[in-house]
Amino acid sequence: MGTETLPSRIARVDAYGLSHTGKVRTVNEDHFAIMTLQKAVQLRATNLEDSALLDRLRKPHVDIFVVADGVGGGVGGKIASGVAVKSVVEYLAEAVGCVQDFDVDRETAFLEHLSQAVERGHHRLKEMFQTQGGPATTLTMVTLVWPRAYVIHLGDSRGYYMRRGSLRQFTRDQTMGDYLVDIGAVTEQHAEKAGLYNVLSSAVGGDFVPNVGVVDLADGDALLLCTDGLTKHVTDERIAEILGSRPAEAAVHALVDAALEDGGTDNVTVVVAKAE
Amino acid sequence: MIQKKVCMVGVFATGKTSLVQRFIHSLFSTKYHSTVGVKIDRKQVQVGTEQVNLLLWDIEGRTPEQEIPESYLKGAHAVLYVADGTRRETVDQLFSLRGHVHSAAGDVPSIVALNKHDLKDQWIVTPADTAKLITGGFHALTTSAKSGEGVEDAFRWLATATLTAPPTPTVQPPVRHGN
Repeated sequence: MGTETLPSRIARVDAYGLSHTGKVRTVNEDHFAIMTLQKAVQLRATNLEDSALLDRLRKPHVDIFVVADGVGGGVGGKIASGVAVKSVVEYLAEAVGCVQDFDVDRETAFLEHLSQAVERGHHRLKEMFQTQGGPATTLTMVTLVWPRAYVIHLGDSRGYYMRRGSLRQFTRDQTMGDYLVDIGAVTEQHAEKAGLYNVLSSAVGGDFVPNVGVVDLADGDALLLCTDGLTKHVTDERIAEILGSRPAEAAVHALVDAALEDGGTDNVTVVVAKAE
Repeated sequence: MIQKKVCMVGVFATGKTSLVQRFIHSLFSTKYHSTVGVKIDRKQVQVGTEQVNLLLWDIEGRTPEQEIPESYLKGAHAVLYVADGTRRETVDQLFSLRGHVHSAAGDVPSIVALNKHDLKDQWIVTPADTAKLITGGFHALTTSAKSGEGVEDAFRWLATATLTAPPTPTVQPPVRHGN
């Protein structure tokens, strides 16, 4: 009897993440999560001829990566980033049916769910700390429905992808320095001197202005999410060299080690995913 | 609420992101940032009695030789072509770009923004260029993300066009040019 094996539409994603307190700070205010949402029947072999049935069984495979870097002093930052990441995980676990119903034609609704997942963390923080200027957190989240990466981003953590050796940052830092330089209110030198690049213009728990975007990936691409504890110590060239030469777990360890070797002045969190 | 996906396309550095910034935040950035992938913003527009939620897909600019990934264009309800009125090649490539967009998104309402009209001393678009665009089937208007000229008009025209058969542009084709 012959069998028919279903073709796979899913790229295997090799993903790994690590968070380190660094060499100066005593508290790690960063958090991260790597999730896979699956609710599918895996029909491994069949001689059924009902291709419509087979199509209905092919649910999308969704990988989600999140990094968050809390700010607020004391343990507030740690609480903020933890609440934000936990809220995303909880929301998406509850909304898994919506995610699994996703198709490209309904991606607006899909993006709305992702935004709501992040917004839940924002509202929770606002409820927990009802004073103005309470703890807040950056948050960079990529939801990968191969080959499309949906990006939701607040603050100055970063997302990059690397293709054929070329590293590209797909997030833009949301700091007061970037904002004021953009509109021509101050020079880069002034912003640097005044410490404006250290002040977030948008954050979960703060002024909530998420950037939303899309990047279509290709086989062989590498995805990197990180907090600024990496990028303040490791150049783009070095990041590209490490990402291009190692599998995800080894790349993550090498990137964190590179940040620590350069001083490790901040918490450092790195998530790498490679499509194979 | 009615949601409409509007794709913004054009060669790199024509001002697509700046037009969105002006339309949504009434801001103009003096610093150039190239978009990576697609940046998605939204804004509600009142069209008659309807509230339309415009989803603005600001697609990474390409060189004239590079094609926009069809996957970004799929499902678009309207397209805003953006050309830089100070760079000839960005205007010349509009026809080939339209062919690519049509094959991916179909014959959806579209308009050309001849952008950077504030740079009047560098403006190279002539009445003949404009006539060529119009006889070629484009609706076109001059815009400036810096001054705000034409920006609201362009997006409102598209919002209206997604709800009805493409109307006659509410704004006149460009007749002004630099010295």
